[in-house]
Amino acid sequence: MSGTDVVNRKKEIDKLRERGGETPRYYEVFARVSSADALVHVGSVEAPNDDLAQVRAWYVYDQHKWIEMCVVPLDCIITVTENGRTTKIKMN
Amino acid sequence: MMMNNDSAAESVFRSDLLAVADTKLVLGNWYGECVINGRALPDFAALLGMANANFGHARALYKHLSTPESYAELERGRGAAEIASMNLLDCAPRDWEDFLASAWLAEQATWHLLSGYIGASDRTVSGIVRRVGQEVYFHIRYFEGWLAVLAGDNERTRRFQKHFAERFPLALRWLESGETDDEEIRRVPMEAIRRSFIDKLGAGSKLLGAPLNTSSASSSLDEWSARLRRSGPLPAGLFEVVRFKDPALAH
Repeated sequence: MSGTDVVNRKKEIDKLRERGGETPRYYEVFARVSSADALVHVGSVEAPNDDLAQVRAWYVYDQHKWIEMCVVPLDCIITVTENGRTTKIKMN
Repeated sequence: MMMNNDSAAESVFRSDLLAVADTKLVLGNWYGECVINGRALPDFAALLGMANANFGHARALYKHLSTPESYAELERGRGAAEIASMNLLDCAPRDWEDFLASAWLAEQATWHLLSGYIGASDRTVSGIVRRVGQEVYFHIRYFEGWLAVLAGDNERTRRFQKHFAERFPLALRWLESGETDDEEIRRVPMEAIRRSFIDKLGAGSKLLGAPLNTSSASSSLDEWSARLRRSGPLPAGLFEVVRFKDPALAH
């Protein structure tokens, strides 16, 4: 391996694998600062799988020292008032 | 321990922590340089967050290894020949798969060496290691997520395997025992640390859905310095990236 052995490959994003599909896959992020607080919705992240969703959520929503954070795939949320449509995404 | 063993143990202890700190300094710069290659906006945030965490770990270790008077020299006064960073990170990544393989190996290797000091009698070191472990959890998770993304894409998996095979012997060499290594220095013997490191990589190969060659011997580098855990000085181009550009900005 040498330092000059660099491949000038253009950044190519495989939407299906790297973004979770032709349209990005979203996760909703919930967190609480202390055990006295309710778990509240703090935002959304795009990720192709659960592992990357957890890491991305942890670094994107780092405005507080959370003691608990959870992510929920958007397509797992059952809407009550949206007549079968998916819930709306809120991106901070 | 006898007096001379105490001195040898102290030397290995300092050498271990400095090697981890310097490798994290270089790894943090890798993340900073590669951030534009992230695949989505939150990926940029993750890479910058991991860069920040690695710089923080390096500075905590530098602080522990220095006195208030010698801290500035340790953090930003050393030349390329004195930086104890892993040879694995000397060569820039050639593509995204190379970046993933190299940074994953570096994160795993530094964590495994540091984990030998979990529960150390020095409570400051034990506390630093525990805190680093909490943050490295997310770094390892990031790479596991990417291994799952690569799984099933034969071309990209093949590239990952190729880069892994080139970089793995350098990581293994970094985890070799020195002449004075024994169980009194770390809580876990070096051999057990190496076995655990290889086992964890094996778990990664399951996520990738393809084998990773972890049977190769460690790299036989010339002019190996046991004190720095590396061979030769940091390459000039890499040193230019990692060297502290403006000491007046340091706090």
